[in-house]
Amino acid sequence: MKCESCNKKHATVHLTEIVGNTKKERHLCEECAQSVNTHLTKIPSPTEILTSLINQVAPEINEMSKIACPVCGLSYLDFRTSGRLGCPMDYTIFRKGLTPILEKMHGSTQHVGKVPSRAGKELIKKNELMQLRNELNKAVEKEDYEKAAELRDKIYELSGASDENQ
Amino acid sequence: MKISDLADNTGEWLRGTGPESDIVISSRIRLARNVARFPFLSRANLKQKKELEEVVRDRIKESDIAHDLCYVNLSEVSPIDRLFLVERHLISREHAGGEGERGVAFGKSETISLMVNEEDHLRIQVIRSGFELKEAWKTIDEVDNKLEKKLCYAYSSRFGYLTACPTNVGTGMRASVMLHLPALGMTHHIEKVFNAVMKLGLVVRGLYGEGTQVSGDLYQISNQFTLGKSEQEIIEIIEGVIPRITSYERMARKALVSESREQLEDRIWRSYGMLKAARLITSEEIMHLLSQVRMGVNLGIINDIEMKTLNELFILTLPGHLQKLEGRELDSTQRNVIRAAYVRKRLEK
Ligand SMILES: [Zn+2]
Ligand SMILES: [Zn+2]
Repeated sequence: MKCESCNKKHATVHLTEIVGNTKKERHLCEECAQSVNTHLTKIPSPTEILTSLINQVAPEINEMSKIACPVCGLSYLDFRTSGRLGCPMDYTIFRKGLTPILEKMHGSTQHVGKVPSRAGKELIKKNELMQLRNELNKAVEKEDYEKAAELRDKIYELSGASDENQ
Repeated sequence: MKISDLADNTGEWLRGTGPESDIVISSRIRLARNVARFPFLSRANLKQKKELEEVVRDRIKESDIAHDLCYVNLSEVSPIDRLFLVERHLISREHAGGEGERGVAFGKSETISLMVNEEDHLRIQVIRSGFELKEAWKTIDEVDNKLEKKLCYAYSSRFGYLTACPTNVGTGMRASVMLHLPALGMTHHIEKVFNAVMKLGLVVRGLYGEGTQVSGDLYQISNQFTLGKSEQEIIEIIEGVIPRITSYERMARKALVSESREQLEDRIWRSYGMLKAARLITSEEIMHLLSQVRMGVNLGIINDIEMKTLNELFILTLPGHLQKLEGRELDSTQRNVIRAAYVRKRLEK
């Protein structure tokens, strides 16, 4: 196979690029590959996706731009440029600016996964309930009423009568 | 254990065993964790970074995760050693290229690795051979539970595990499966896979994670979202899509065999011939050749190489490994010579 670019040398470099959701193949000699390699379109990294998201979702920018974290000193503008937070407290301090970004990015702003045991039994129970409710919704959507009834009983059992109206 | 002790073999995840291992090379899960009373690394000063490295390293050592855990301080080893560890999938490229006090702990089987001061204070990773995400989760969950007893993680009931980058917050979990899809690539059906996968909120990447080129027809499929779904739910979404992709790849292989057997066999045998005879092989070319031969073995066209040998060659012929093997720095031409010689040696019996 001849190199696609110079059409002289033998193609030894076989590149696959992913652009959006199409795959492109290129067959090049080593020299041509090296000159082309630097400006190949890459798969966007999460950081790039994040930066574009931050720029899309920022109506609070004026209000938020005055805020900085008293613990680590990060300002909301710093976050907008770097896409990185400075300390765990920033999730509380920049909550208003962060939630729409998290919503767009993850489709949710509420954690329902693992709970560290030191966070306490109540929280573990709360998350378990949340997961069961998610499953219940899914079962109802799928019209799997047998499973739904089973889940409903589990939820009932776990929550007791006290917080059933949550 | 020294880094050079690793050079001549590979981790257990390359054995080529486990469910669907003809197509699924490995299953990997990593968890991002941070220590509550410290800033994230981008805002930590040198003293805090040093303290973090010591605290996290010591807690790892006390935690009885694996009896043979060894710790490497990355600021004390050479760039070749760091490249070697990246190629091994024991550390990330970002971790290798980072600055300041940072390190990695891993066991001899290379199944578990714990990166200290990567983007987050701690990144736990488990890799297994074949399609075994659930098993990987079981292992990593246990490791995480042990560490959680010693380290107070940054956590909120609303946002879950708090991470330096909001793309990881919540579970802090990235689950990924590495697939070998040569036939879907050859028949140009791979785009359909990308489409289906992206609709589920999953992403496709190359061999070494974000922003890397796809080579050797190796693809990694992983979750993009980390918040709003539990670890099990995320794993189930990935587990649901993989069998569809593997059966699609098998169909494409069958079609190639029945419709253009001669061309396919020719391609595969030529690649095998090149590996056995070439005197100069670039790192891109070898991925391509190994990919063809690997499919040849899976289709029963080639019968005299073990899957383990082929899987290992994908890693052992990378630049860092060759330089480690030779014990010195090599330019790309020297590497191409040594790479070709090494492969010839491994393939002749
Ligand atoms: Zn050329
Ligand atoms: Zn802060």
